[in-house]
Amino acid sequence: MPREIITLQVGQCGNQIGMEFWKQLCLEHGISKDGILEDFATQGGDRKDVFFYQADDQHYIPRALLIDLEPRVINGIQNGDYRNLYNHENIFVADHGGGAGNNWASGYHQGKGVEEEIMDMIDREADGSDSLEGFVLCHSIAGGTGSGMGSYLLETLNDRYSKKLVQTYSVFPNQMETSDVVVQPYNSLLTLKRLTLNADCVVVLDNTALTRIAVERLHLTNPTFAQTNSLVSTVMSASTTTLRYPGYMNNDLVGLLASLIPTPRCHFLMTGYTPLTVERQANVIRKTTVLDVMRRLLQPKNVMVSSYARNKEASQAKYISILNIIQGEVDPTQVHESLQRIRERKLVNFIEWGPASIQVALSKKSPYVQTAHRVSGLMLASHTSIRHLFSKCLSQYDKLRKKQAFLDNYRKFPMFDNDLSEFDEARDIIESLVDEYKACESPDYIKWGMEDPEQLVTGEGSASGVVDPRMAF
Amino acid sequence: MKKGEERVMEEEDDQQKAADLVHELVLRLLSQNPQTPTPDPTSPSFLKTLRYAHRILRSRLTPSVSPDASAIAESLKRRLATHGRSSDALAFADLYAKFSSKTGPGSVNNKWSLLYLLRIVSEDRQSAVTGLDSSLLLPNLNLGDEPVSSSSSSLGRNKKSNNGVLLVSKDPENLRDVAFREYASLIKEESEVTEEVLVRDVLYACQGIDGKYVKFNSEIDGYAVVDYVKVPRGTRTMVRMLSELGWLFKKVKSFVSESMDRFPGEHVGTVGQAFCAALQDELSDYYKLLAVLEAQGMNPIPLVSESATSSCYLSLRRLSVWFAEPMVKMRLMAVLVDKCKVLRGGAMAGAIHLHAQHGDPLVHEFMMSLLRCVCSPLFEMVRSWVLEGELEDTFGEFFVVGQPVKVDLLWREGYKLHHGMLPSFISPSLAQRILRTGKSINFLRVCCDDHGWAGAASEAAAASGTTTRRGGLGYGETDALEHLVAEAAKRIDKHLLDVLYTRYKFKEHCLAIKRYLLLGQGDFVQYLMDIVGPKLSEPANNISSFELAGFLEAAIRASNAQYDDRDMLDRLKVKMMPHGSGDRGWDVFSLEYEARAPLDTVFTESVLSKYLRVFNFLWKLKRVEHALIGIWKTMKPNCITSNSFAKLQASVKLQLLSALRRCQVLWNEMNHFVTNFQYYIMFEVLEVSWCNFSKEMEAAKDLDDLLAAHEKYLNFIVGKSLLGEQSQTIRKSLFVLFELILRFRSHADRLYEGIYELQIRTKEPGRERNKTQESSSWINEGRKAITQRAGEFLQSMSQDMDSIAKEYTTSLDAFLSLLPLQQSVDLKFLFFRLDFTEFYSRLHSKGKES
Repeated sequence: MPREIITLQVGQCGNQIGMEFWKQLCLEHGISKDGILEDFATQGGDRKDVFFYQADDQHYIPRALLIDLEPRVINGIQNGDYRNLYNHENIFVADHGGGAGNNWASGYHQGKGVEEEIMDMIDREADGSDSLEGFVLCHSIAGGTGSGMGSYLLETLNDRYSKKLVQTYSVFPNQMETSDVVVQPYNSLLTLKRLTLNADCVVVLDNTALTRIAVERLHLTNPTFAQTNSLVSTVMSASTTTLRYPGYMNNDLVGLLASLIPTPRCHFLMTGYTPLTVERQANVIRKTTVLDVMRRLLQPKNVMVSSYARNKEASQAKYISILNIIQGEVDPTQVHESLQRIRERKLVNFIEWGPASIQVALSKKSPYVQTAHRVSGLMLASHTSIRHLFSKCLSQYDKLRKKQAFLDNYRKFPMFDNDLSEFDEARDIIESLVDEYKACESPDYIKWGMEDPEQLVTGEGSASGVVDPRMAF
Repeated sequence: MKKGEERVMEEEDDQQKAADLVHELVLRLLSQNPQTPTPDPTSPSFLKTLRYAHRILRSRLTPSVSPDASAIAESLKRRLATHGRSSDALAFADLYAKFSSKTGPGSVNNKWSLLYLLRIVSEDRQSAVTGLDSSLLLPNLNLGDEPVSSSSSSLGRNKKSNNGVLLVSKDPENLRDVAFREYASLIKEESEVTEEVLVRDVLYACQGIDGKYVKFNSEIDGYAVVDYVKVPRGTRTMVRMLSELGWLFKKVKSFVSESMDRFPGEHVGTVGQAFCAALQDELSDYYKLLAVLEAQGMNPIPLVSESATSSCYLSLRRLSVWFAEPMVKMRLMAVLVDKCKVLRGGAMAGAIHLHAQHGDPLVHEFMMSLLRCVCSPLFEMVRSWVLEGELEDTFGEFFVVGQPVKVDLLWREGYKLHHGMLPSFISPSLAQRILRTGKSINFLRVCCDDHGWAGAASEAAAASGTTTRRGGLGYGETDALEHLVAEAAKRIDKHLLDVLYTRYKFKEHCLAIKRYLLLGQGDFVQYLMDIVGPKLSEPANNISSFELAGFLEAAIRASNAQYDDRDMLDRLKVKMMPHGSGDRGWDVFSLEYEARAPLDTVFTESVLSKYLRVFNFLWKLKRVEHALIGIWKTMKPNCITSNSFAKLQASVKLQLLSALRRCQVLWNEMNHFVTNFQYYIMFEVLEVSWCNFSKEMEAAKDLDDLLAAHEKYLNFIVGKSLLGEQSQTIRKSLFVLFELILRFRSHADRLYEGIYELQIRTKEPGRERNKTQESSSWINEGRKAITQRAGEFLQSMSQDMDSIAKEYTTSLDAFLSLLPLQQSVDLKFLFFRLDFTEFYSRLHSKGKES
């Protein structure tokens, strides 16, 4: 009863990072490219069946669905080293192979069209697991397939598997360079709405930050997608270590996420990782005590979400929750001391409306993967500064919307053929999300959205709070 | 006798003494002369004679015979014998023997001269009696009054005498000879019994036999000369002193024979036996001495000279010299016998050892040899115990005592040190090591079914240079003993730990206990919680442990536990604790780990019961965590956010919002508490203690170390998990919090159930209405009714939530205020974790201000 997790890789980006993720998992569990357990992989203690299942012939097969509307990436996987790893029944490529043309509406619409086919695959996968914990969706929010079809899948999963967890690894577009996808702000906004409403947890992978990290921290002049993707796969595999190496705590996704997400709406997590390396890059071995790891994880330069906050706002930003997953040989007695130091030096600002603390999970490191560093750490955190990322999306959307640019592409699809209220609704939701994050920074979050509740409860007053209550859920 | 002796001995007044002696001699000779009546020492004739004697003595005449003292003595004796005076001859022989053995300062130097003088004097007298005028008896001295006649007569007599010349030694010390003789006769006059007889009696007495005159006197508790015999007081005292040996001997002898008679008996034992044997050895040496003395005493010393008198070889005085050494030994033995009368075994050896600390080399030597004998059985016991684990102790003499116990108690209670039997020459720490080493062997043999220790034992013996044969060790070789014990202990203990670690997988079992009883194997625990949970909510009576065992097996198979050693999994059992009528399954369910021999020595009943308590506590904690996670699942983001309640009235919506927010915030607070408590348990309690335990396990040199390490580990966990005696209050307040959280769960469930229902009603009213026309009462009542119902529901839920929140705040406050009062530092860590952002301290200070 392994609390299985089914991974859905949607679109070009989703499949690319998904592929990297599976590569990493195979390495860590000692599973060969063909899915056969390597001879040396006998040291046990790991749980492979959360992410893999065993076929009749002892093949380990990822619980993964590879979904795309165009064949390029998936063909690459099917012709690559890992072609025998995946269950070919779990691969879906649209018949026409024309993709979604970077149009959210197209992806969403096509998703609706193939819903039955895809849901069949999901159902089959779900039936094959004893106690399905939930789904992980890998996608980008800017393109067409990952964002549009991903959004559709999120809604469907929320409907059909409402009791199951839905976690996403969502790649946010690089804001620093001009994208070839001009409608990126539209796509992002529309996807964000689904991420806000239909996902339980969104791990934000900000391409801006990833590129920055690659350039600044790894000294790569022109980081490739493969290189940033290896960062993503590192984060993904690290964030699942406690599920794959069971210990006293944090053995399931629910447990992991519950403590991270005390307020349902604020379920966007940012990540930090240390030490940062790209595959096979020679690395100076650093001093790695628990304190070092924890301190580095709190440094903005190691965080994989760029903050667009101005200084004043940044100082207001607060952590709602932090979980540090530290892998490797660590003396557990150091944990307390490290926490003490961090508090002494006031390295973290936490919310004031409730108790909070840095959670530390120690996890095993795979014995099969040799790394230059003894200890590595991943931070999963809910931080209010993420609202600036959303604000940025909103402002870009507003710019584009003001110009009424490129809206025709959307009007072609049924969702937008009458009006563009979907855009407005999405905008409202994102805005209220930003507001909620902002409210979390104040000690009075508990009363937020309920000005003069006495009056309201008795129904005498108007429903106008600071925020439209409709949006406050 | 005393007087004479002193006279001889006194050196300073030699000259005066010699003069006196000559005076005396002259007096005696004259008094024997029948012609002259008792001479007046002041008469001129006497003085003249004396002067004459002096002159002779001062002359330089030398005798013609060769100066051989013994020959003269022999001839004197023979002459006495031929004259029919055999008793006199014997007395002479004795006297002569004594006389000739006198050497050193104060004794007569030229004994021969003295003897010669005495002989001449005696012969002169006899010839005078037989052949000459009696008036010429001692003519040489009878000169003074009538110089003419006497000079002629003396000359004539001198001519007549066979020897022709009167040869007198000019050595003044010859006078002592005379004194000695006189003294001997004095003694004879004073005492009714001769010294020889007394000597014989004393020798008898020294063998514990009553003599003719020297008998045991029970009044004075000792041997003494019988009262009716007249002996000088000095002699009496002397006999009394000498015969002390007899008294001592009797005591020792009786002890030995008594002990021997009682053997084999509880009270003697092998050490006692060895002691007796050693005493017996000493006694036979003593017998030998006595036999020699007796033989010598009976034989007078042979003299060459006929005329010399001879006496027996032994006198009382000689005896006292002879007895000096045996006396010391015998006294010691008697003391030991006294001490050891009530002692046995090691205690006896210890008591004897105490007497061995003596500066006198004689005593020391003697005690050492005695102790070597006495301790040999003891050391043999040590050896066989340390190298073979055999307790060869029929009589309870060893300082290790075994008692029959159950196998699991063998190590702790099977063998004990008997401090009473611990000889003082074995230090307590050494004794402890000895005890442990043999215990280890027995433990290996009985509990571990292992025979590899024999190799380790012989290795140890080889290393310490002792063979495994018997009697390899002795008293005085404490270093060797220590070495042997150290070697044996090192090897045996190492072997024992090896066996425990490798064959019996001690560490793996500890780890298994940590994983299953201390919930370290998270996936297993989680699954068990999932499947057992619903069942445990039922009354305890309805639950069969058989069913639970099935769940346990399912949990093992479903989790990574399935890859664990089957042997360990088989030991994992469901345990139903005794339950009362109101108990739920939660109250009685627990897991236990079956410890089989030899590990049951570590995991004793009490240890397992401690583990049980820890398990119950952690299980409770997990249950609370599980409940909180359950709530989160119902209120998880996409359940709440994806549903808009657009069609609800604003007021109700706000109510809903308020209820949800309150629920979330309270949940967050509870979850923070439980999560951090768990982190505390994990880091500050379980992992830290395991770390230390692992280190100590590595460092453990013997099973005792290991047991201590484990004990420490477990006590650490129990103490830090608030399960100790002193944390009862805080534990109570913790359980209050747990109860509240569980209560909160049912409230939250009800709240969300209501909300979902509301959602369904408002979301797609059209469809719902068609489908569930009959069943749904809310729909029938219409929108307004729904709103009203919802409002009422939310209001009551909010109130309940408020009361729980209030109660929770109070309880948490109570708990937090108790934390700083706890002794343990780690609980301050817990407070630190709970109050990481100083949320509670702020709250507290705010509360104080207002």
